[in-house]
Amino acid sequence: MAIDWRQYRCENFYDELCEAPGRPRPAARKLAEYLGALSEPEMAERRLAAELAIKVMGISFTVYSEGKNVDRAWPFDIIPRIIPLSEWVKTEAGLKQRAYALNLFIQDLYNDQKIIKDGVFPAELLTESVNFRKQCIGVKPANGVWAHICGSDLVRDKDGTMYVLEDNLRVPSGVSYMVENRLVTKRVFPELFEATTILPVDDYPAQLYDTLAAISPRPLDQPNVVLLTPGIFNSAYFEHAYLAQQMGIELVEGTDLFVADDDCVYMRTIYGPRRVDVIYRRIDDLFLDPEAFNPDSILGVPGLMRAWINGRVALANCPGAGVADDKVVYAFVPAMIKYYLGEDPILPNVPSYLCMDPKQREYVIANLDKLVVKPANESGGYGMLIGPRSTPEEREKFRRLIEANPRNYMAQPTLALSTAPTMMEDNTVEPRHLDLRPFILSRGSIESTYVTTGGLTRVAMVRGSLVVNSSQGGGAKDTWIVDLDDSPAQSQSMGGMSQSQAFGSSESPQDTAVRGDD
Amino acid sequence: MLSRVASNIYWLGRYLQRAENTARLVNVNALLLLDLPRGIPFGWEPLVQIVGSDDLYRSLYGADYSESNVVRYLLLDQRNPGSIHSSLHAAREILRTVRDATPREVWEKLNDLHYYVIGQGEGALSRSRRGAFLQRVIDGTMLVYAVLSFNMSQDVGFQFLRIGTNLEQADMTTRILDVRSTSLLDPTGRAEQLAPLYNIQWMSVLRSLTAYQMYRRHVKARVNRTGVLRFLLQNREFPRSVTFCLTMVMSTLPHLPESRSVERTLWRVRALVQDANVDKLVEEGLHELINEIQLGLSDLHEALAVVFFKTPEV
Repeated sequence: MAIDWRQYRCENFYDELCEAPGRPRPAARKLAEYLGALSEPEMAERRLAAELAIKVMGISFTVYSEGKNVDRAWPFDIIPRIIPLSEWVKTEAGLKQRAYALNLFIQDLYNDQKIIKDGVFPAELLTESVNFRKQCIGVKPANGVWAHICGSDLVRDKDGTMYVLEDNLRVPSGVSYMVENRLVTKRVFPELFEATTILPVDDYPAQLYDTLAAISPRPLDQPNVVLLTPGIFNSAYFEHAYLAQQMGIELVEGTDLFVADDDCVYMRTIYGPRRVDVIYRRIDDLFLDPEAFNPDSILGVPGLMRAWINGRVALANCPGAGVADDKVVYAFVPAMIKYYLGEDPILPNVPSYLCMDPKQREYVIANLDKLVVKPANESGGYGMLIGPRSTPEEREKFRRLIEANPRNYMAQPTLALSTAPTMMEDNTVEPRHLDLRPFILSRGSIESTYVTTGGLTRVAMVRGSLVVNSSQGGGAKDTWIVDLDDSPAQSQSMGGMSQSQAFGSSESPQDTAVRGDD
Repeated sequence: MLSRVASNIYWLGRYLQRAENTARLVNVNALLLLDLPRGIPFGWEPLVQIVGSDDLYRSLYGADYSESNVVRYLLLDQRNPGSIHSSLHAAREILRTVRDATPREVWEKLNDLHYYVIGQGEGALSRSRRGAFLQRVIDGTMLVYAVLSFNMSQDVGFQFLRIGTNLEQADMTTRILDVRSTSLLDPTGRAEQLAPLYNIQWMSVLRSLTAYQMYRRHVKARVNRTGVLRFLLQNREFPRSVTFCLTMVMSTLPHLPESRSVERTLWRVRALVQDANVDKLVEEGLHELINEIQLGLSDLHEALAVVFFKTPEV
């Protein structure tokens, strides 16, 4: 049996591909027709082809289970998510605006702190921030950019509004899967790429390389750029290797590098030490340099902070950039945009209640059963309360946690995350919740900022679930930005799709993301 | 080239070569046993001796060198770091760490083979399916090597792959010569009964190294001990001969940072192999010679590790 879109039960949420059962959105019509014309064995065959491609291409992620690190094939749904270019252009502009303001904010916090002096951002938030690094005070990185790579999570609510759920400014991951998802889709549905103008996504590694090379402290034609990984046991190791390979740079571990007496960073090669100019580091701040931070870290490089502060090496992202991806600081991003740029935010934040404010705290505590409560600095969806699914004991526990440390908590309404058609084990199609993580490369101005074409769509494969975590049944979809005006012959075929969805998240797409639905 | 990456690529070469050699060894032994009279005492035990892990084997299986145990041990046992499964697993783990330095297609081919071994390995314990399984392993490793040779820049990293591959082969060739030249037949048997079997024995040595056909072409003499030893130790054209392998290693040196210690060690072991007077080697003499060559290969590995792989002092 082929897919019958009239049987597709999407009416309870905003569905990215269908306005209603049997009514695909304009941008998805071609795809819906195409899929509807495939027989069930044909669909099953395509799905197997995708599974095989993923296995053979070795697209994997690592999970820690039963005391062993296991490399798992990347869970992938073959039905792409579609966003019309007209919508994406606005989203892209909003992301550029946001990333630019965030970088101005970080630079300000570590230097003049004007935003605090002007009373826009509360000083006590800073003093209690666990991601504020006093070692970074007074540092002015090249072009004023601290978070060169930002992964922002977007979700769409029931009315179709796309919200920014959070910004990941430390070591966001997932971009390699975005590129790989496209390769898999091309293998599985090559015909669709002929009929539709789908914007390519594979420019990212080249853009990333340019971003990194531009911050070299030495004016060289060919700066020595490396990617610093915690190693093979890191869940994002696949991505580290992938990006290094795609950029043609060395993938290094902490032990491959050392800082010499001249404060320069060198890597150990068969030819002897060779100077390193730029480090794209995928290690958290606190493990970067055992001399400056966690003395037990064996992942980092002793003296690295000294080299960075003295301008002998560039780090991306800069240490301390995480101060702005605190979930409480998040609530101030719209104000930051106004303050630094004098503009209104293009993309809205999810409404947030800050527990440090007595009135808002009161509201949160009175409505714990309706809200999602998040701690400021946890990632991976840890330490959250999802009100509508909580027990009275859990709510009581959170009431006490919040009252003990109000600065550390914020709350948001549970969103009815949008859905998209997803293939099930039995080859039928059902709606599943999803979110979107685009990646933004900042180079010091709005104009020079690069945003990925779409991003990584993560989907909760379990019915009703909001957990997109791939170790917990989450998967991914290819994300198509479709130019309807440019499509051969049928300009009506792609129209108002939209997308994005939700889920909490964290730095890593393998980590949980959770947003409550209702 | 990072020292760590150079080391990993070197080991990648070794593990791939090891998996291939092990597959050939098992294959040939099965054929050999079909030709030998019943009651030959050493059926499968020599294979364990060749791969040099008798102690480990005994700790796992005791003194039971049955076909099923030895084959499992050599092919699938993850507790044996030299089994085909372990070698491919190690090669794959290494490839993960040097993924950025090697062509993507290599990863796909190796990954494919790795899953094949995991999926079909148990079936290979039965004789009927073992041949096809081993052939697939041999094909798969050669395919990986071919993709590396044709798709990877023959830069300094590639030289380490060649060094690893050739050192492993030289090591395996000497091990096979050592074990196979001594243990196959009971020398107290009657000479006229054993004579035809010696022939089979030396043919199997050649076959383990896919050398039979090339031997016939080059040596133009019947298969005999002296001819086989000379061919596998000193032939300059056959890719699995020890001399050939060491010459290959030598040819990589101009592409590497200069190192007197590596050069010296390499010259020494190569001279040892080439200067050996094969005609005069009695059995004990052969064993000693091979011991010396093995020590030389081990010195060479050590020199490479010190010069290129070890984390240098700051």
